Amino acid sequence: MEKNIRKPFGYEPIIKREDLKKGSKRKKEEVGDWKKALLNIWRLVDEQRGLLITVLALVLISSILTLLGPFLIGKTIDNFIIPMKTEGLATQIGFLLAIYAGTSLTMYFQNFWMVGIAQNTVYKLRAGLFNHLQKLPVSFFDKRQHGELMSRMTNDIENISQTLNSSFIQVFSSILTLGGTLAVMLYLSPLLTALTMIIVPVMFIAMRWITRRTGILFKEQQRAIGELNGMIEETISGQRIVKAFSQEQRMKEEFAERSDKLRRTAFWALTYSGFIPKVMNMLNNAAFAIVAGVGGLLVLRGDGIVTIGTIVVFAEYARQFTRPLNDLANQFNTVLSAIAGAERVFSIMGEDEERDTAENNGDIQLKGDVEFRNVSFGYAPDTDGYTIDDVSLHVREGETAALLGATGAGKTTIVQLIARFYEVDKGKILIDGIPIDELPRTTLRSQTAFVLQDPFLFEASVKENIRYGKLTATDEEIEAAAKKANAHEFISKLEEGYDTMLTADGSEISQGQKQLISIARAFVADPVLLLLDEATSSIDTVTELEIQAALEKLMEGRTSFVIAHRLNTVKKADTIYVLDQGKLIESGNQTDLIAQKGIYYNMLQQSKL
Amino acid sequence: MLMKTVFSYAKPYKWPIIIALILMLIELSVELIQPLLIAKIIDDGITAGDRDTIILYGSIMMGLAIVALVSGVTNSFFAAHAAQSFGYDLRQALFRQIQSFSMATFLRFPTSSLITRLTSDVTMAQNILFMGLRILLRAPLVVIGSLVMAMLVNVKLASFLLIGIPFLFIFLFVMARKGVTYFASVQRRLDRVNRVIQENLQAVRLIKSYLRGVYEGSRFSKVADHLRKDTVKAFRMMELIMPVLLLIMNGSLMLVLWFGVGVVSTGDAQVGEIVAIVNYAFRITGGFSMFSFLIVAFSRAQASSVRMEDVLLAEDDREVIEPGVVENGEEKRGALSFINVSFHYPSHPESVLSNVSFTIDPGEKIAVMGATGSGKSTMLNLIPRIFTATSGEILLDGKNINDWPLEELRSAIGLVPQQSVLFTGTIRENLAWGDPEARVDELEAAAEKAQIHSSIQRFPANYDTRVGQKGVNLSGGQKQRLSIARALVRKPAILLLDDSTSALDVKTENALWEALEDERSTMIVITQKIHTAQGADRILLLDEGEVAAYGTHEELMELSALYRKIAESQLDEEVAEDGKEHQETLRLRTDH
Repeated sequence: MEKNIRKPFGYEPIIKREDLKKGSKRKKEEVGDWKKALLNIWRLVDEQRGLLITVLALVLISSILTLLGPFLIGKTIDNFIIPMKTEGLATQIGFLLAIYAGTSLTMYFQNFWMVGIAQNTVYKLRAGLFNHLQKLPVSFFDKRQHGELMSRMTNDIENISQTLNSSFIQVFSSILTLGGTLAVMLYLSPLLTALTMIIVPVMFIAMRWITRRTGILFKEQQRAIGELNGMIEETISGQRIVKAFSQEQRMKEEFAERSDKLRRTAFWALTYSGFIPKVMNMLNNAAFAIVAGVGGLLVLRGDGIVTIGTIVVFAEYARQFTRPLNDLANQFNTVLSAIAGAERVFSIMGEDEERDTAENNGDIQLKGDVEFRNVSFGYAPDTDGYTIDDVSLHVREGETAALLGATGAGKTTIVQLIARFYEVDKGKILIDGIPIDELPRTTLRSQTAFVLQDPFLFEASVKENIRYGKLTATDEEIEAAAKKANAHEFISKLEEGYDTMLTADGSEISQGQKQLISIARAFVADPVLLLLDEATSSIDTVTELEIQAALEKLMEGRTSFVIAHRLNTVKKADTIYVLDQGKLIESGNQTDLIAQKGIYYNMLQQSKL
Repeated sequence: MLMKTVFSYAKPYKWPIIIALILMLIELSVELIQPLLIAKIIDDGITAGDRDTIILYGSIMMGLAIVALVSGVTNSFFAAHAAQSFGYDLRQALFRQIQSFSMATFLRFPTSSLITRLTSDVTMAQNILFMGLRILLRAPLVVIGSLVMAMLVNVKLASFLLIGIPFLFIFLFVMARKGVTYFASVQRRLDRVNRVIQENLQAVRLIKSYLRGVYEGSRFSKVADHLRKDTVKAFRMMELIMPVLLLIMNGSLMLVLWFGVGVVSTGDAQVGEIVAIVNYAFRITGGFSMFSFLIVAFSRAQASSVRMEDVLLAEDDREVIEPGVVENGEEKRGALSFINVSFHYPSHPESVLSNVSFTIDPGEKIAVMGATGSGKSTMLNLIPRIFTATSGEILLDGKNINDWPLEELRSAIGLVPQQSVLFTGTIRENLAWGDPEARVDELEAAAEKAQIHSSIQRFPANYDTRVGQKGVNLSGGQKQRLSIARALVRKPAILLLDDSTSALDVKTENALWEALEDERSTMIVITQKIHTAQGADRILLLDEGEVAAYGTHEELMELSALYRKIAESQLDEEVAEDGKEHQETLRLRTDH
C-alpha cells in the first residue's frame, strides 16, 4: 500500500529543464506544425464542408432550444401554476414538449452527421497515408520498423478520429454558450463581469504552462506507443525464433522496458493534462469568491451599482460560465493528443516520393536492352561506401545474364537497381538506350517481373497469390502458369486446391512451394524483363530440373537476369558476370570463362568438391 | 463476468484508486458548499452590513478553492498512476501469455490481431478506468443526490420524475449491450486494417516490382472503408443515447408541471416546491447526460476486454518454461531417435509426416533430402517442440522430448531456420540471442566458424553495426551466416540447419562445412545439394512425409531410385563435362 501511495510522485520526469528552456524556440516550430496539421485535416474535410455548416447550424439551434426550455418553464410556473390556471396549460406544455423534441432531434442529427463527417475524413486520411506509402522509395521502408509505421496508421489516426467525432461539436457549442453567458453577465453588471474576468489572464498563464508540457508529452507518448508497437510486431512475426532460442524471458524484459517507457510518458501526459480541468475549477471557485466577497463589499458601499439581487443572479451565471469553460478545457486535451498524432501522420505525408521526373507519355513497349555505364551505388555511401562500384555491363534484348559472386558481392543490389528500387549514385543505367530515370516507373515495372529471394505470399488464396502477377488473369491462365512452374501438382493436393487460404505464418506450405508459387506469379505476369533472384534456392533439384526447361522457355525472348548459386542454373546464360565486393571482375560465356581459368573456373572446380 | 479478468489487474492499485476517489469527492463537496457560503455572505454579511463577515467568508471561499485545486491536482497523480499502471500490468500479462503460447495456439490468432489487442484494446480498458476515477462516481452521485433531495421536498411531485427512470435504465442497458457488439466489430475491422498494412510493409519490394501500389491502395481502401462504416454505425447508435435520455427526462418534467397545477390547487404542494423540484430535475438530466459518455467508454472497454480475455484465458496447450530448471546438469550427448512420428498442422487435416522412424547417434551428421514439401522443415521443427508431434515419440538421449523441461531441451538445440529472421538491433545483440552470457571472443569464434567474421569486420561499426528489421540491410547470404553463427553461439548438442546455406556461394559454403567439421554436436542438415549430403554420415530421404531411405550415400545410390534421380539431377551435366575428375572428388568426399 505504502509503495502505491508514494509511487504516483516517484515517476521519473520525461521533460527536462532544457526542453522547456529552449521552449520558446521549440514552441514556435510546434505552433507552426499544429497549424499545418490542423490545416491539413481541414483540407480533408473538403466537400463535406456544406454538411459541416449544417451541423454547426444545428448546434446553434439546439443551443438556443436548450436555453429556451428553462426559460419557458419559468413562464409556465409564473403564468399557470402560481395562479392555478389549467386552461391553456395543455397548449403550453405541448409547446414545451415540442421544444424538447426539437432539442433531441437537432442533437441527434448534428451528431449523426458529424460522425459521418469525422469518419469520412479519417478514412480519407488513412487511405491517403496508405497511398502515399505506396509511392515512397524502398529506402524509406528499410529504415523503419513495420510496427511503428502501423501505429501511425491506427493509434495516431484513432486519436484524430476521436477528436473529430466529439470535440468539434463540443468546442463549438461551448463557445456559443460561453458567448451567450458572457453577454448576459455584461448586461447584468459590467463591473462584476470585469472582476470575474480577472481570472482570464490567470487562466491563460496556467494553460500556457500546462500545454507547453502536454504538447511535448503527447508527442512523446505517441512515439512510445509507436516504438512499443514496432517491438510487438517484430517479436510476434519472429515468434518461432524467439521460441527456438528460448528468448521469451529476454523479450519479456525488453517489452517491459518499452512498456514502462510508455507508462511513464503517458503518466505525465495524463497528469499534466489532468491539471487543466482542475485549474479551471479552481478559477471558477475563485471567481465565485470574488463575486460574493468583492461584490458584497461593493453592496455595502451602498452606491447602488451592485445589489444583492445582482450577486445572486450573477453567481448563478458565473457558475454557468464555467461549465462550458471546463468542457473546452477538457476538449483541449483531446485536441492536443490528436495534434500529436496528426503531426506524426503528416510527417510521413511529407516524405519525398519516389522521384519520377519522366512524363508518362503513353505506353512505351520496352525491348529489354539493359546497359550499366560505370554505375556506383551504396545504401549509405558516406559511411558504408559503395555496394556496387563502377560496374559496366550490357545485356541485349532477349539475352540471359547470370550474376555470380560471393554473398554480399552486390548481385541483389544490381537487380534491385534495374527495378529502380534505388537511384544510382554515379553512372547511368540505360534501358533500350533511355536513361532509367527518364523512363516512367510504371512503364519500367509494368514490363518487369521480379522473383525475390524471400518469396512473399499474402494471406489470401493460392489463386489470388498467383494472380498478383497479372490482376486480370483468368483461372485458366493461373492454372497454366502453375503447371509451367511445376506448382500445379502440389496445389491440387491441397485441401481446397487453388482456393486454399494461406495464413500469414504460411506453415502449411513449404518454402520451396512458396518459391514455385512466386515463379508462377512471374509466368502470369508475362514480362519483357525478368529478374530472378535466387528464385529456385529452396526447391529440390529434381523439381528444379523439371522447371528448368519451363524457366528457359520463360526466359526465351525476354531479357533475364538470374542470380543463382547452383552453377547448373547459370551455365546456359549468354553472359556470366562475376562480381566481387561490388566490382565486376569477370564476364563472358561459360566457355570463355573456363578458358580464362579465372575466378569462375575456380568456382566450378570448388563446386565439385 | 463483465471484464472481471481484465479488471483483476487493477487490484494492486486499490489504494491509489480509493485515494483518487476520495480526492474527487473533496473537490465535489467544495463545489456544493460554495452556494451555501454565498448565502452566508448575503444573509450574515451584506444584509447585516458586516464587512468582516464578508471578508471572512470570502476568504474561506478562496481557501476552499485552493483546497479543491490541491486535491484535484493530487487526484491527477493518483488517477494517472492507477490507470497507467493498470494498463502496463495488463499489457505485460498479455505479452507474457502470448510468449507462453505454444506455436499451435499462437497460430490461432493472426499476428495483426495480437498487435491490436496489445495496444488499442488495452487503451480502451485503461480509458474507462481513468474516466471512472474522474467522473464515474460523480454522475450517479448527482442523480441519486438530486432525486433524494427532490423526494424530501415533495414525494408526490417527485415521484413523477421516477416514472421515466425504469425506462431509462432499460434503454441504457440495451444500448450498452448493443454498443459492445458494435464496438467489438470495430476492433475486428481494426485488425484487418492492421493486417493489410503489415502485409504491405513486408512485401514492399514485391508490390513495387509488380507495380501493385494502386491495387494495394484499393485493397486497403476496402478494409479502411469497412472500418469507417462500422465505426459510423457504432457511434451513430451511441449518439441516440443522449437525445432519448433528454426526451424521457424532459417528458417527466412536463408531467410534474402538468400535475403540479392540480397538486398546488389541492394544497398538497407549494409553488416553491415545484420550483425546487424543477431545479433538481435539471440536475438529474445533467447527471444522466454524463452517462452517454460512460456508456460509450464502457461498451468499448467491454468489447476490448472480451478480446483480451480470449488471449488471457486461452489455457489450452501452454508452454511451461521454467528458466533454470535443469533435470540433469550434464551436457546432452545429442542422441536422437524418432519412433513412428506422425504430424499434421492443427489447421489442416492432411498429415505432413507419417510414421517417421530413425535414430541418430551422438555427434553424427545427418543430411535430410527430399522434394519440396516432403516434410523436411516440419520434421526439424518437431525437435525443439516448436510443434508437438501428433503421434509417435521423439527421444533425446533416450528420453521423450516431452519429458524434458522445455528450457533445457531448447537450450541444447541450435536451430537455423530456412528464412533468416533477424531483429532490429546490433549484430552483437543478434548473435547474443544464442547465449546472452556469451563472451565477446565466443561470439567472434562462432562468427568465424559461420564465415561471417571477416564480413562483419568490413562493416562500418563492426559488431555494433545496426541491423534493420528482418535484416533488410544485409544480403541474403549474410543473413544466413549470421543466423548460423547465432545458433553456434549456443554450443548446441544438436545443430539443426534448415537449408540454411541456399544463398551462399560455393566457396563460402565449403569453408563453412569445413569449419563445422570440428563441431562435436549432432547435426541435422536439410539440403538440396548432393555434394553437401555426401559429406554427411548418413542421409535421410523423405518422400511425401515418409522415410524413403536412410543410409550412406553409397547405400542410397544403390537402394533408392529416388535418391539416384536427385543425384542425377545434379551430377549428369558435370559428369558429362569432366566425368573423370568428378569420380575422384566423389571418392575424396566420402573418405571423410
